[in-house]
Amino acid sequence: MINDVTLGYLIFLCPLLTFVINGLFVGNRNAKAAAAIAVTLNGVSALSAILVAVHYFCSTFAPQKAVLFEFTFLPFVDDLVARIGMLVDPLSVMMLVVVTFISLMVNIYSIGYMREDRAEGRFFALLSLFSFSMLGLVVATNLFQMFIFWELVGVSSYLLIGFWYHKPSAVSASKQAFILTRFADSFFLLGIVLVSYVVGSFDFSTINSLSLYPFRAETIDLGICVMSKANALVLGSILIFTGGWGKSAMFPMHIWLPNAMEGPTPVSSIIHSATMVVAGVYLVARLFPFFAVCSDSLTIIMWVGAFTMVFAAVIACTQKDIKRILAYSTLSQLGYMMFALGACKIGQAVITTGWTASTFHIFTHAFFKCSLFLIAGSLIHQVHTNDLDAMGGLRKKMPVTYVCSLISILAISGIPPFSGFFSKDEIILAAFQGHHYVVFALALLTSGLTTFYMFRLFFLAFHGEPRHEGVKAGHVHEDLAMTLPIAVLAIPALLSGLLGKGLFEKFFTPGKLHAPVFVKLPEASWIPFAAVGIAVLALAIAWFLYASPKAKVQRALDAENRSGLYKVVYNKFYFDEMYYAVVRQFIIGGVARVSRAFNDYVVEGLLAFSVWFIHKLGDLVRTAQAGYLPFYLGTLIVGVLIWRFFGQLPL
Amino acid sequence: MYSFFNMNFIIPDILLLLFPFIVIGSRLFCNYRSQLPWRIANFGFIAIFILLNFIPLASGEGRFFICNWKIDDFGVLMREVLIVSAILGIWLSKDYFEHGADGKPQMHQIAEFIGAIAFATFGGVTVVSACDLLTFFLGLEIATIPMYALTAWNKKDQLGSEAATKYILMGSVATAFELFGFSYLYGFAGSLHFGEIQQAIATGTSPLLWVAVLFLFCGIGFKLTLFPFYTWAPDVYEGAPTPVTAVLSVTSKATAIAFLVVLVFGPLAPVQEQIAPLIALLAGTTLFVGNLGALKQSRLRRFMAYSSIAQAGYIMVALLGPASTAKTAIVYYLFVYAVSNYLAFFIFGIIGHHREETFASLRGLSKQNPSLAVALAISMFSLAGIPPLAGFFGKFHLFFSGASTGHYALVAFAVLNNVLALYYYIQLIKSAWVDEPDGHLSPLRLTRRQRGVIIALSISVVALGFLPFLSNNVFAGFSF
Repeated sequence: MINDVTLGYLIFLCPLLTFVINGLFVGNRNAKAAAAIAVTLNGVSALSAILVAVHYFCSTFAPQKAVLFEFTFLPFVDDLVARIGMLVDPLSVMMLVVVTFISLMVNIYSIGYMREDRAEGRFFALLSLFSFSMLGLVVATNLFQMFIFWELVGVSSYLLIGFWYHKPSAVSASKQAFILTRFADSFFLLGIVLVSYVVGSFDFSTINSLSLYPFRAETIDLGICVMSKANALVLGSILIFTGGWGKSAMFPMHIWLPNAMEGPTPVSSIIHSATMVVAGVYLVARLFPFFAVCSDSLTIIMWVGAFTMVFAAVIACTQKDIKRILAYSTLSQLGYMMFALGACKIGQAVITTGWTASTFHIFTHAFFKCSLFLIAGSLIHQVHTNDLDAMGGLRKKMPVTYVCSLISILAISGIPPFSGFFSKDEIILAAFQGHHYVVFALALLTSGLTTFYMFRLFFLAFHGEPRHEGVKAGHVHEDLAMTLPIAVLAIPALLSGLLGKGLFEKFFTPGKLHAPVFVKLPEASWIPFAAVGIAVLALAIAWFLYASPKAKVQRALDAENRSGLYKVVYNKFYFDEMYYAVVRQFIIGGVARVSRAFNDYVVEGLLAFSVWFIHKLGDLVRTAQAGYLPFYLGTLIVGVLIWRFFGQLPL
Repeated sequence: MYSFFNMNFIIPDILLLLFPFIVIGSRLFCNYRSQLPWRIANFGFIAIFILLNFIPLASGEGRFFICNWKIDDFGVLMREVLIVSAILGIWLSKDYFEHGADGKPQMHQIAEFIGAIAFATFGGVTVVSACDLLTFFLGLEIATIPMYALTAWNKKDQLGSEAATKYILMGSVATAFELFGFSYLYGFAGSLHFGEIQQAIATGTSPLLWVAVLFLFCGIGFKLTLFPFYTWAPDVYEGAPTPVTAVLSVTSKATAIAFLVVLVFGPLAPVQEQIAPLIALLAGTTLFVGNLGALKQSRLRRFMAYSSIAQAGYIMVALLGPASTAKTAIVYYLFVYAVSNYLAFFIFGIIGHHREETFASLRGLSKQNPSLAVALAISMFSLAGIPPLAGFFGKFHLFFSGASTGHYALVAFAVLNNVLALYYYIQLIKSAWVDEPDGHLSPLRLTRRQRGVIIALSISVVALGFLPFLSNNVFAGFSF
């Protein structure tokens, strides 16, 4: 009975089962059993996903789409039906493998990382809920299903970021993440409503095969204005993208992601590599044919992505908290993926290089970013701080970690033959082929910045003299449960680019497009050389500043007596502060105060008045009830008179 | 012979008519301590109730006994409501014949008491079976006169006598109104028979008719405690013995509303639209005044009086709807109302046996007797119309009926008033659940019968709400 459909069910049900079993029964009682269940079931899920992937890509069926199973969930009206199903195409199969594999690695890692936590069982339950939600999202057959799981992803990330709810910073970070993504999601929902209303369907297959032409003539009343249906679809596409904008933490909705570092490191790892943030990129990739026909939506996406890419990379160069550096690097890499999708648009036509490149980058990035976070977690576990100030000299104590992190860092820097090189190279190529030269230059620049800050982290953490008492004293060791996933992840970090390139180029195209497609594209064989050259240059600068014998590491880490510009960048361009200012001054101080005053004086005043009035009337009724019989008899007569005159009888 | 065998649907009515004589007559053969009348009463009422359930519903136009006694589906279901009320009423009253309560002495002559209730019930049955004005009027009087006697059952109780005096004086005036209305109706139509009156009204109206309608509504307004004819209710409810108050608030109210249903959907059906504003005004003012009055009460029975005034207003809302919707809504609501109201009265009765019947006596009930406090909460929430209890669905159907002919303003007003009602019902629950217990209150003891009845009633209040198919069955019985 092992066929693709049962495997498909297994992929889903294993994490869900883990959540239910650990959440309801085992979690509180036996943390070890909870961990064992989580690892086993997630292992089954990952294995099933890999089997499905192998079967799918080896069959002659690929790269067509198929629906493994589908249930009717909510029939709204005849043709607008929300379904829950499992879509299989190259993109979703790739994501299934990534999500389940990363989830398995993170679960194994958590055995070591969460060993001493008092709520280990809850952690494993929530982690599985997280991957279940993401799995539901990636196999969605329609927008409605995607939104349901999209929100589930949001909820589970909220629960996990605020996992250490006794820490006020964790609580506020989880709230920030949840509120900010919910804010973006409300636009997403609006977009879904608008698009499904115009199109009359939630299905990706319908939405992706649209062309705007038949919608030009008809108009739709949006309540505020009347616009043509074609324009409404364009608006809808931008609203839908806004959902991904927030989820993928694109500028200016990026601030939640670095703050989300307050969660346990395995959570950061899974958020940044496989679940949550790539959901935004995935959404755009999934709906790419729709975005492609919606005039300039893709251009907006490109600029949002490109700006976030540079912006985050600049901030990452100055940070000292290793998890924050990695967080900004994720932002930057997400910017790459996003702009690669956007860069596919040239005037009215599209190319598909960017789409392939972007999905490829999702794939490779997942492995090395997950690995980097796990490594960061290992380091933190040893030195009990996130700060680069307290690290250094860890190379000899943690040799396996050292080698693995070198691999991952080379991968993210785009040095051949590591995985990041191939995907990043394709992205830069896509920008060039799309004739977006400004973005192309920015991408090259960011590639250099990436190498710089990653090696800065690398040199400061592993090289030089130990700056932490514990490390000096030699209380450092590698934990097997934590090192194993790091080592396992180093393999795809090294090889996934090399091996995946052919696969992606063969199978990964966004499907049938309703916009003209450029087939003949300019070749630019010099680009890899340029990119690698810039990366190597940046590496040399990093080495010179932080690792060479002459480098003044103490001075490099000194946050005092720096230039103003450095401080601005170090403080993340004061974006957190701006947010707080807006929230405190404008929302809490202005809008909330006005609403509060309205509530206090107008609403409560009216309420108090009506309560007082009703009580007075009640007193009146009571007073009339004096027990005086003549009065009572009088009411009978008066009653007849009242209804004679007010009863509206035609008398 | 054919007709005789098809007349078995009349058996319950005949039994009910003979029943009070049997109960009272049994006194001749036993001493005053004997439980015989009580046993006969229980057996008789339950047997009649079971027999009623054998009458098949959905019988179309209804069947006639001697062409002047109509039994239709509405009539059968109303009989069931009335019998349920009578059974619960005598169960509630039994304790009061064993010892006094709420500062009133012990009651005597249980056989006659039961007989009076049976007569009142038969009066209600007569109202729903009537086909002409005379029977109709007689039914109403048969239902009312025993109530006067019941109110003054405690001959040694001054308050009871005063209440009965007020009741009978005002009742006489109301009866006069009623008769006046009937005489005009006869004058207008030239016939006592409903069918002929209906035809006469369908052919045309005249001021004669409207005077009749005005006086009929004012007269029945007294019995149904409509504004401003409700003034007797708080005093009588307060003065009468507690079980009589309960019977008054259910049997008497059910009879009165049945009277209006028969009238509005019978002879007055052709002018229902013209009298709708009057009904709406009566309903709106009544439920508002009832709610206002209940806001500031401290005596439990007085509170229930105002609450039942408000409930009468809610029931009136349904009269605006189309015939079948209105009838089903009213019958279902009367079941729900009877069950919830009796549950409340049983609890108040238990309180009254040991303490004064005031809000203050409820203090700390949740700690002293949690199950009683739960039952109280169930009954209050049901009366307030909180889902998923039966009261919610009952009110929903009432309002639905009103709204189905477009009286949205009245329905909205009624719903708003429900908020007011919730306020005072919750005050009772607050007394029982939130307020600290008062050490001076004497402890409560429940007899086995009380416990059983309270459990059964609580379950039925919850079940009627949770199992909507029960109400659907009530509806399914109708095919007007």
